[in-house]
Amino acid sequence: MSAADFLDQWFETDVLKATMSASGIIGTFLGVRSPGTAYVLLHHYMGEIDGAFRAWGFSRGGTGAISNAIAAAAREAGAEIRTQAGVERILVQNGRAIGVVLEGGEEIRAEVVSSSIDPRMTFEKMIGERELPGDFMEEVRRYKYRGSSGKVNLALDGLPEFAAIPGTGRHLRGAISVSPAVDYMERAYDQAKYGEFSRRPYIDMVIPTLTDPSLAPPGKHVLSCFVQYAPYNLKEGTWDDKRDEFGDTVVDTIAEYAPNIRSLIIGRQVLTPLDIERSVGLSEGNIFQGELSLEQLFFLRPMAGWARYRTPIRRLYLSGSATHPGGGIMGAPGRLAALEILKDIGK
Amino acid sequence: MAAVRDVVIIGGGVNGLVTAFYLARAGRKPLVLESRPVVGGAAVTAEFYPGFRGPILAHAGGPLLPQIERDLQLEKHGLSVVEPEICVFAPSPDGCGLLLRRDAKETARGIAQFSARDAEKYVEFSALLARYGALLRQLLSLTPPVIAKPGSEDLWNLFRFGRNMRGLGKKDMMRLLRYGPMAVADFVAEFFETELLRAVIAARGVLGSAMGPWSAGSTAHLLLQAATDSHPARAPWFPRGGMGALSDAIAAAARAAGAEIRCDAAVEKIIAKDDVATGVVLKGGEEISAEAVVSSADPRRTFLELCDPSYLGPDFLVKIQHFRGKGTLAKVNLALDGLPQFTGLVRANGARAAQGSAGAGSENAPAALQGRIHIGPEIDYMERAFDASKYGAFSPHPWLDITIPSLADVSLALAGKHVMSIYAQYAPYKLKDGDWATRGDEFLKTVINTLAEYAPDVPQRVLGAQLITPVDMEKEWGMTGGHIFHGELSLDQLFTMRPLIGWARYRTPVRGLYLCGSGTHPGTGLNGASGANAAREILKDSAG
Repeated sequence: MSAADFLDQWFETDVLKATMSASGIIGTFLGVRSPGTAYVLLHHYMGEIDGAFRAWGFSRGGTGAISNAIAAAAREAGAEIRTQAGVERILVQNGRAIGVVLEGGEEIRAEVVSSSIDPRMTFEKMIGERELPGDFMEEVRRYKYRGSSGKVNLALDGLPEFAAIPGTGRHLRGAISVSPAVDYMERAYDQAKYGEFSRRPYIDMVIPTLTDPSLAPPGKHVLSCFVQYAPYNLKEGTWDDKRDEFGDTVVDTIAEYAPNIRSLIIGRQVLTPLDIERSVGLSEGNIFQGELSLEQLFFLRPMAGWARYRTPIRRLYLSGSATHPGGGIMGAPGRLAALEILKDIGK
Repeated sequence: MAAVRDVVIIGGGVNGLVTAFYLARAGRKPLVLESRPVVGGAAVTAEFYPGFRGPILAHAGGPLLPQIERDLQLEKHGLSVVEPEICVFAPSPDGCGLLLRRDAKETARGIAQFSARDAEKYVEFSALLARYGALLRQLLSLTPPVIAKPGSEDLWNLFRFGRNMRGLGKKDMMRLLRYGPMAVADFVAEFFETELLRAVIAARGVLGSAMGPWSAGSTAHLLLQAATDSHPARAPWFPRGGMGALSDAIAAAARAAGAEIRCDAAVEKIIAKDDVATGVVLKGGEEISAEAVVSSADPRRTFLELCDPSYLGPDFLVKIQHFRGKGTLAKVNLALDGLPQFTGLVRANGARAAQGSAGAGSENAPAALQGRIHIGPEIDYMERAFDASKYGAFSPHPWLDITIPSLADVSLALAGKHVMSIYAQYAPYKLKDGDWATRGDEFLKTVINTLAEYAPDVPQRVLGAQLITPVDMEKEWGMTGGHIFHGELSLDQLFTMRPLIGWARYRTPVRGLYLCGSGTHPGTGLNGASGANAAREILKDSAG
């Protein structure tokens, strides 16, 4: 069922349905009318915060603060963490993972290697097909990423004012969603299907400086915009040529709702799916390490027969969003992978 | 009031007639009530222009499930089937064309002119589809199990199915599970690189549906269709005399078994007392009492139009209201003063082979045009056609699925003239601007102009044209929303969820009222499976 059909059963107000339907498409290459997006919508309600089911929250200091807290917990439990240690290769001997090689050549031997990056990066880039069965590599190549979103970060001289609710009150503290109609959302998707970024995209904005003023100089603000659709594969041109045009489109779209936005912009960072791939190492810029489509979920994630965190290489595990239950900052794949690893090593 | 009848069946389409046959064969006395003047429902042949008769609505159907075909012995009742060697001719806008034949290897030889890799893959794909088709065929004749509390028969059936599924081997089995929910565009792209070939094969995944080739789950639709006919693009199965001849033969078989059939008998209401169905009321007021009532009408019509809401309870009614089925397919019938010339035919792959056997130039045309003609050269073309319908507009460049039934049966048209039957998609039930009454002509023109891009002489050959929109299908044939399958064949409306979870076993909340139409499992077209399954369940209830 599609997110739009699902919401039709509950509501009649277009803008309400459109805004809620966004959860059904975030990070996917699907539209709100695409079958299966009702699942994705529910997927986003999976988490809980302080016991409140399907709650979403902001962390003071941005999502980085969540990572820091988890890292502290891991260190306290006895884990060691090294940053600026990019892994270049996974060492395999006789079908068994024996360690990794870092960029720069340092070699680290290990009993177990667990990869939280996506299958393409893990198997194609860090291992290579010589070590892996042909059938398996075929499935690795078939696994779909199709990044569809970009990110625009704006440094603002002050708070934007929205025509719909003038002033700078509490309405700016949550998420601000540019999703005025179900058809608007669907048209944004249509352009992506044919290899263009949306001329009027869906934009999900937050102003993290309202929760944590330390993120910007006094009186200034940060506007963080999640933008969809920005397909990784463009039909014409490359993202390097289109980055600015994409940024302009986002600003133009926001300006239709917050006319003062242009005059507030001090700085702008535009991250296309290509940039996300390059900087974060997410293939095709897919934020969930692979599309959340039905054929890539549950026992089929990342691929049929390999959904239990193990791989054809002994003592090599997957533990990222490309494994069940998939993306979002909820930690479930990491925990489930750890449980499987512990089973195997008998602890 | 007349004596109480044994069973009345609402609707004399293929499924209603098949149910009647099986009930009669078991000694019951079914009475079929058909609102139109002829039996057949969507499978009818009629004159649509003076001197021209054709398959008014459905132009290809079946084949019936083998067991049903054996039981009904349709040849004995006058059915003769044409199965052309060339299954599909698909012209492309640049004047080329693709011919798909019955035989996979021969087809592959033609495909090799487009891509050697695709030719090889085509043979592999055919074999895969045949394996999946054979497996899924077993599902078609199963009553969907009760998931919460399966009975022993359910368990046995599921066990058997599971065992057969394992018989596919691990790789094929896993692939099947992965394919089902996929977009058919992705599915065909895993095999083929030629756009035209991709589009021809993918088309079956979206026929009659509010899905485009990029819609998730359209592969499941294609695989279910392959369960009755596993040819990659369907092997045409045309009753001589049009689809009406199939209905006539089934009606004859049902009558011979002891069923009674009344035409011009439109049911207006189903009556029930104390949650038990007791009969029907016809338009005009005639009341017919019966021990059991079987409806081959779609679920929404059956429950929301024919039943009093007090029979059903609010929860059930809300769920039925949400049963999705907005038609997207329109039908166009053309009376032509001669056979159109398709430019793509001259350069079609394998055309040389056809010329070899049937002479050169236009001489070979009839053989190549005897199957279906597919107009929709690319996946993107099909998807754009679908896009329009999402916003309530008909496709500016629709996908067309065409047959010329007068090639197999010259009696359908005046001498030397032809009948062209066209499925045109997408034509959404509800238009955003205007309505079908005012915009029908515009769409008809769009269809003819689209056709003219591939066969330029079509416009001047048109003597007469008939357009049947989803709205007409609802009005004249009673299909709610004008949906040819009575409801979307989407993953959430299949098998144990067709029409509703908990009500997929042909029974309804009203005791003695059954469903037997396409709105029940499998509901995948004119194959008689829903009708036969329903009859089996009805007989079980009366035996108990």
